[in-house]
Amino acid sequence: MITDSVAVPTTVRPGRATRAERLASLSQRHGALTMLALALIAASVTFESFATAENLAGIAIQSSFVAVIALGMTFVIIGGGIDLSVGAVFALAGVLAAFGSRWGPVTALLLPLGAGALIGLVQGVLIARTGMAPFIVTLAGLLAARGLMLALTTEGAETPLVPRGSGFLGLGRGVFLGLGVPVWIAIVLCGLGAVLLRRTRYGQFLFAVGGNEDAAGLMGVPVTRVKVVTYALSGLLAALAGMLNAARLGSGVTILGVGMELDVIAAVVIGGTLLVGGAGAVGGTVCGVLILGVIQNVVNQIGTLTSSVQSVVSGAFLVVAVVAQTYLSRAGRAR
Amino acid sequence: MSTARTTDRLRALAATAALLLTGVAALAGCTKSEDGGSPSDGSSGGEQVVASSSPSGEGCTLEKYGAPKLDLTDAIVGFSQSEKEANPFRIAETQSIRDEAEKVGVKKLLVTNAQSQLSKQISDIQDMLAQGAQFLIVAPLNSDGLEPALQAAAAKKVPVLTIDRKINATACSDYLAFLGSDFVEQGKRAADAMVKATGGTGKVAILLGSSGNNVTTDRTNGFVQQLAATAPGMEIVAQQTGEFARDKGQAVMEQLISSNPEITAVYAENDEMALGAVTALKTAGKKPGTDVKIVSIDGTRNAVQAIVDGSINAVIESNPRFGPLAFATAADFYAGTAVQPAIIISDRAYDSANAAAELSSTY
Repeated sequence: MITDSVAVPTTVRPGRATRAERLASLSQRHGALTMLALALIAASVTFESFATAENLAGIAIQSSFVAVIALGMTFVIIGGGIDLSVGAVFALAGVLAAFGSRWGPVTALLLPLGAGALIGLVQGVLIARTGMAPFIVTLAGLLAARGLMLALTTEGAETPLVPRGSGFLGLGRGVFLGLGVPVWIAIVLCGLGAVLLRRTRYGQFLFAVGGNEDAAGLMGVPVTRVKVVTYALSGLLAALAGMLNAARLGSGVTILGVGMELDVIAAVVIGGTLLVGGAGAVGGTVCGVLILGVIQNVVNQIGTLTSSVQSVVSGAFLVVAVVAQTYLSRAGRAR
Repeated sequence: MSTARTTDRLRALAATAALLLTGVAALAGCTKSEDGGSPSDGSSGGEQVVASSSPSGEGCTLEKYGAPKLDLTDAIVGFSQSEKEANPFRIAETQSIRDEAEKVGVKKLLVTNAQSQLSKQISDIQDMLAQGAQFLIVAPLNSDGLEPALQAAAAKKVPVLTIDRKINATACSDYLAFLGSDFVEQGKRAADAMVKATGGTGKVAILLGSSGNNVTTDRTNGFVQQLAATAPGMEIVAQQTGEFARDKGQAVMEQLISSNPEITAVYAENDEMALGAVTALKTAGKKPGTDVKIVSIDGTRNAVQAIVDGSINAVIESNPRFGPLAFATAADFYAGTAVQPAIIISDRAYDSANAAAELSSTY
């Protein structure tokens, strides 16, 4: 509707960004990184059992599943959308993976990934072709995916189990150089994601679409295709996380993923990705995920709080993180 | 420029509003409404009594489990609670563990709360292990899926005692033992109380608990079987989940009375849903406890008070005060006594005959 070319952000032409703009985008990422570093230092000083290899490896594995989903969410949000279906797809994929594992690791891999990508694809087509709000389409996706999962498990009463000794379990439980396999997978994927976002045409198109969709369309960006690919990718990554988690748990637990989309969105936003689209970075998202992981761990380190106080403390930490991050980003933008 | 700014700002606003909405929705979903009427003084009587220890086998000993000997007064004990302390059962359960830990004089008690998220319960347990917990008491959120946490505990030779819900694993190898109520038996006793309250005829609606855990399944099966066996004149006309929450129980009850006005009895699988049903019935102009008989399970103070007031007919207790028995079991285990894989506690029952007298020992 609004074809005001002035609003096209400079990220469309990354080659010609001015120094001030580069600084702004740097501090947007580094705001989260600084916060993470501060949180790590503060926690290490306060709690002697925090900075141990065991505890840090624990935070890493807990965060790895969220990180994989948040990677897809970063793309979606940069493209000016939102994906509320990820938590439900995560749970559905776990059930499908455990269900499929009875026919061997290959089905356990392909079944959930196929389903996740398909759900994402359908959502992407609906959003891109019909112009419906991503919020509504993916909310419908959330309900559909959760409903499907409950239908497969007779209202959540049956939990499909991965056969003992199945090679599939290694994906979730294997340890390499002190870190769990899911952590390594998350690291590799986030690395690839950063390259995809910064160094490919798709990445440039995505920033353009998120910055100003109409302008991007006028400039010849294949808006529909970019959106469809982005939502399909988000569904695929959510399913991958669900599958890895099922391999770790050894079962397709039906109560997972409720409200998970909010944690993921929070992590992405803490990481400096703008909720309105057009700006963001994978590195920031990773920091955001880790900040959430550290906050949860710190609450447990205190160890004596009641659940309501735990929520208050997590909320307070979160506010501090967001305020500090926003302040740091602003300081960077103020030339 | 200014139009572009405005649209940007509008989009930002819309996005924020959307996010806030989901947040509010999620909060509303999580918050099990509880007006906090019942102060939880875990000490006021009502201590758990063992009904039966599973007879088979010779039980679990230190050597068999492979755990190192431990003096509880010099130990770090971890407690992983599954759900928010937002309903009387969870409040009383956590308080009881805290109180007993203090009484026994453990060196340090770590308490975590998974807030109904299984992934969080796993990381909670791992966090406590990383902090040096030497004995773990776990109230499992779900029967499946805790394997990584149990393996982490086993790797450090830390015994895990599960309370209130059972997990699908092997006692004495994956975990030490299970401590809790017999939920099928609770369902059966609720059916007996229902027959007594209604005289054996009527149309019953069941408010089911959350799907996906054995508490709901067992309480339903026990009730349905016992009713079929003892009261052929009673018909179950509706079964719907109220997710163990008062607001959900109320909403479901409202729908049920309008679609099935002939309902004469309600079996709620916990007290919170029963209290919701009482409100719904009152709103619909019916007299709960008289026009529509209500039986529920848990034995919270609010529900037993409702028996005194005449709006609920009977309540079967599910005793949440696991502290004394849990630490006694741990002490036995470390003293070399064999621990049975399933220790079932005996639960009391409340009706109009004893509600007023027993009110002070409820939770």
